[in-house]
Amino acid sequence: MRTGSSVLLQAAIALSVIVWGTVTGAAEHVTVVVGPQAPRIEQYAAEELAGQFGRLFRDVDVSVASTIPADAQYVVLIGSPKTNPAVRDAARSSWPEVSDQGLVIQSLSGDRDTLIVGGGSPVATLWAAYELGHRLGVRYLFRGDIYPGEQRDLNLTGHVVVMEPELRVRTWRTVNDFAVGPESWGLTDHRAFLRQLAKMKFNRVMLSVYPWHPFVTYEFGGVRKETSLLWFGEQYPVDGDTVGKKVFRGARLFENPDFAGIETPQEMTTAGIKHLQGLIDAAHQLGMSVGISISPLEFPREFQSVLPGSRVGNSLNQLTIVPAAEQGPTDETLIELVKSKISAYVNTYPEIDRLYLTLPEFPEWDQHADEAIEILKPHAAPGSLDLENLITRAAERKLIASGSRGKQAIRGNLVGLAFLRTLFSDETLLKRPDGKTLGLVITSVDPALFPVLDRLVPQQAETLNFVDYTARRVAENRELLKDVPAENVGSQLIITLADDNVGILPQAATQSIGTLMSDLKQLGWQGFSTRYWVPAELDPSVYFLARSAWEHDLTPRDAQTELWTTTTGNAAAAERLFIAWEQLEKATELIDRHDLGFAFPVRGMLMKHYVPEPIPDWWQEVTDAQTQYMIELYRAHGAINGGANPLLFYYAKRSEYALEYLGAVKAIREAALAKDQGDPESAIAHLEQALELTYNCINTLSDVAQDQSDRGLIAVLNEYAYRPLLAEYEKLIDGD
Amino acid sequence: MRRTAAVLTICLMAAGIGIVTPASAEDWPQFRGPNASGIAADSTNPPLTFSVEENVAWSVELGRGVACPIVVDGRVYATTMTEDAKFAVLGFDAVTGEQLWKTEYETGELPEITPPNEHASSTPACDGETVFVHFSTIGLIALDATDGTERWKHLLPMPFYLMGWGAANSPIVYEDMVIFNLDDDLNPYLIALDKETGSIRWETPRPDMLGGYSVPVLCTADGRTDLVVAGTGKLKGYDPATGGELWTCNSLLRTIMTSPVVHEDRIYLSLQSYGDTSRVLKYALLQWRDTNQDGKLEKSELESAFHDKFDKGDADQDGFLIDDEIDAAFQSSENMAGGGNIIQSIRGGGSGDVTESAMVWSLENKAPSNIASPLAYDGRLLVVKKGGISAAFDLVDGSTIWQKKRVRNFGNYYASPIAAGGRIYVPGENGQIVVLEAGPDLKLLAKNDVGDSIIATPAIANNRLYVRTLNKLYCFAEDMP
Repeated sequence: MRTGSSVLLQAAIALSVIVWGTVTGAAEHVTVVVGPQAPRIEQYAAEELAGQFGRLFRDVDVSVASTIPADAQYVVLIGSPKTNPAVRDAARSSWPEVSDQGLVIQSLSGDRDTLIVGGGSPVATLWAAYELGHRLGVRYLFRGDIYPGEQRDLNLTGHVVVMEPELRVRTWRTVNDFAVGPESWGLTDHRAFLRQLAKMKFNRVMLSVYPWHPFVTYEFGGVRKETSLLWFGEQYPVDGDTVGKKVFRGARLFENPDFAGIETPQEMTTAGIKHLQGLIDAAHQLGMSVGISISPLEFPREFQSVLPGSRVGNSLNQLTIVPAAEQGPTDETLIELVKSKISAYVNTYPEIDRLYLTLPEFPEWDQHADEAIEILKPHAAPGSLDLENLITRAAERKLIASGSRGKQAIRGNLVGLAFLRTLFSDETLLKRPDGKTLGLVITSVDPALFPVLDRLVPQQAETLNFVDYTARRVAENRELLKDVPAENVGSQLIITLADDNVGILPQAATQSIGTLMSDLKQLGWQGFSTRYWVPAELDPSVYFLARSAWEHDLTPRDAQTELWTTTTGNAAAAERLFIAWEQLEKATELIDRHDLGFAFPVRGMLMKHYVPEPIPDWWQEVTDAQTQYMIELYRAHGAINGGANPLLFYYAKRSEYALEYLGAVKAIREAALAKDQGDPESAIAHLEQALELTYNCINTLSDVAQDQSDRGLIAVLNEYAYRPLLAEYEKLIDGD
Repeated sequence: MRRTAAVLTICLMAAGIGIVTPASAEDWPQFRGPNASGIAADSTNPPLTFSVEENVAWSVELGRGVACPIVVDGRVYATTMTEDAKFAVLGFDAVTGEQLWKTEYETGELPEITPPNEHASSTPACDGETVFVHFSTIGLIALDATDGTERWKHLLPMPFYLMGWGAANSPIVYEDMVIFNLDDDLNPYLIALDKETGSIRWETPRPDMLGGYSVPVLCTADGRTDLVVAGTGKLKGYDPATGGELWTCNSLLRTIMTSPVVHEDRIYLSLQSYGDTSRVLKYALLQWRDTNQDGKLEKSELESAFHDKFDKGDADQDGFLIDDEIDAAFQSSENMAGGGNIIQSIRGGGSGDVTESAMVWSLENKAPSNIASPLAYDGRLLVVKKGGISAAFDLVDGSTIWQKKRVRNFGNYYASPIAAGGRIYVPGENGQIVVLEAGPDLKLLAKNDVGDSIIATPAIANNRLYVRTLNKLYCFAEDMP
């Protein structure tokens, strides 16, 4: 992977010395021409395109220059008429009208073969370079690119491409929480990942951070934020008995590499700020805008003393406080505390482009709903904010937040919105140090309020909307999407690729995502933001998401068939892989329907199944679907050679892990039943089987672990699954 | 294969604490040592406890590989891939770990293999003067044991495996020959080369065999030494002088990855092959190679290397292989072995079909591993499989001494158990080597962590334990500073 070092590149351009490609015989020379004053991203686009050509075409050498050499036979012009005089001269009147996201790939006839690769903005030019790569057979995935098995003859003719996105907001969420997710990734990992996302034309990054994270510090009322934790403060030791310990390469603790060895909160915060700033810089260098997503109404517990009456929030390990009855939506102290927090983020990261303010997932601050309604009513249409009606709708809907949780959700949501309305009466709050104004996105407004969404959020704010935890649940409640007045308020949908409640097993939701993408386009939404933790099996879903954002009628089936056919070079294998992901989606759906939280990665995740209850039939259905998924993967893996082979093996081994985990869960349940029936010998035998399966599942993962999420999952399974199970087994063996 | 060496006193490291090699140096000259037995008879005090920090005589970074180390005349030989397409054989001083030589070969384009197999998979064999090793894209290579210079190279066709496992067969040395069995799915054969020149002494096709990895062993019975090779459905005895088949015992299973062991005039096998006795090769092919799952094999679903076989089986010339056509193409109609789990004791010697006459005892028992070979030691046959589940059987009558007992280490077992000095070493893929006491009960003496995957069976010689992990080579010995 080449970097976009502009100084080096400009020097090289001046000398025309960067040459890509292995030349074995009579070579064709391709000159990639980038404007002499081109923006840095266009220079990077030239470098990227030159690198791709060197791998795609046989017997070519490719150089980057700022002017067209007189004897050039093959020329690629990078940029637009505004940024590259060569494009201006070559395109003349043929340059199409495109938006700042529009792509242009255009072959020109003449004395030499000329290809224009450009766009309505520098980043659009970069995307055009990748779009060309895509059309020439490169497939961009999380872990790298898969090139065609054979190089082709050089040919720059026949390209006539003008593309505009169907969805202009394509957001990738990162950081998050849990050791199995990107919270474990170091900056090096993030940079590599972001480069792949740029190739898939994602244009926004949302850094989802939490009150206990080490990414900011602030002071209020004499109290300074001291909490500086990753992973809810959990620790994952590695010792001689850690299963799969080879992946930790001798480390005694699983750590995010950017925080390794750090012990004090101050050092954590310093490292955290460096980490997050690095992420922001990396995304900006790739032309993505960056926002930070915070939960404004949650604070580390040290702030309890300055917010009298506040209560402990509903987070793992009880790390936060939230406002309570004593604070109303216009509470001055609360407003000042939130302002301190927001200002801290804005001042610590003065280059961010927007701020996402997320309403609480568990809105315990619901005591002032009536007052909130009164604050919000002047902004809404008459009669649209009837509290009783809203509560009834929230209670009766078919979402996880329904019934009593739904009632609390709508009440708390109204209080939060009223508070934000009050808060943003101060227009300076979103001013960056350089005087520019940050974009504001309000996240997770209750779906019951969708019909008046445009009226309730502060003016100019966009919305990022959460309907339910899984894409399948959202698709089943897709009627709610129609309630959003998308023509009046910028609206994006949170699309869950893999849910943390369904847990750490391989997941897929591509068909449901297909339904949602179709709806977003039809309803005029701006776009989407992703939600996931372990990226492992998400390649087909993200591929579809990325392509579907630019192609109106693309279906998940077509996208996957095309992806697998191109990467495997084998139509039959592609069909098996499509079937494989159908089976994986079936397994995901079964867990989602029957036991959301089945493999949620927290303490007790495995032993919660150690209860003397009947083994549900659907467990076997999940096992059957996962088995078929594995069979299809190995079948496809055996049929192909080349680029996609290691990837399929990775998936296949992870499918083995899933089956072993499912087997362990069943054995634990059998052990509990045997113990309950007074048969300790049988209970011990079942626990022994569960131990072996748990061991094997972790060991299997360690055979193919590729990234920090994989290593994090191994650490989590040791801590939350294997060790508690071993302890119970030893307790039983000892006759306790 | 034991060689006498002068008494050596070698001081180790600056600390000056020495290890004295015994007057009679012990060798471990091939896969799993003398006659693939897994037993170092002269080592009476191999290390009991060791780790990456404890009792390490020396260690070296090797790079990836799964071939076993061998020890002959005070030198250790190992193999690795030094680059994506570069194979290397290395010689080390067995006591100090000093690298004596390294000889590299360009491999050309490598075939697909299935992990945990690696390209550096063939265990060398050595007679003290020459090191012999196989590589899939080259053939057999003979290198001077003292400096690694090439003595000869005998090109062999690249093996092909219907399931894409990849090569992992190892040569042995017998008298003045290098003997190499290569059971693949295309052109299985047994070959003997003159160890001085590399010229062919004899070559015996094994057309009724499927892909497998059993290493030949020698068995002397009734005054005659036979070359014994396990393969699909059959254990066969050959005349080592001519390669002529002497006898066959048609009691084995479809896929043979373990090697037999010999004790006195008996040959012991423990075998596991997926499925029941009716699961012949075609079912595996229809499950895994029939990519479009239409119930018939198309040419495009197989590597081009198998297309001739495909044509041979396609009786009606319709471009598909269905049912019996698959058998005809790939599995001999005379040898339709299926799956199962068996442990057998077979008497060596005899002639012709000895299936009935040579069978001493045969157990259908789920104890065997499909990859880790059995150990015949101290009157018992020990087997260990995935999960660290062990069983032991009486060598004489096959009676069960114990079974389904865990060695207290979960995970996979690819390396085979070995023994010396009354201790049995059971290497797990997870890098833990469990040490058991050789005795009538399963008794755990130690559990040692070497910190990296172990696929290759370790070696023991002169009370030193040589462990080739996935990336490193360790020599462990007690009384280290």
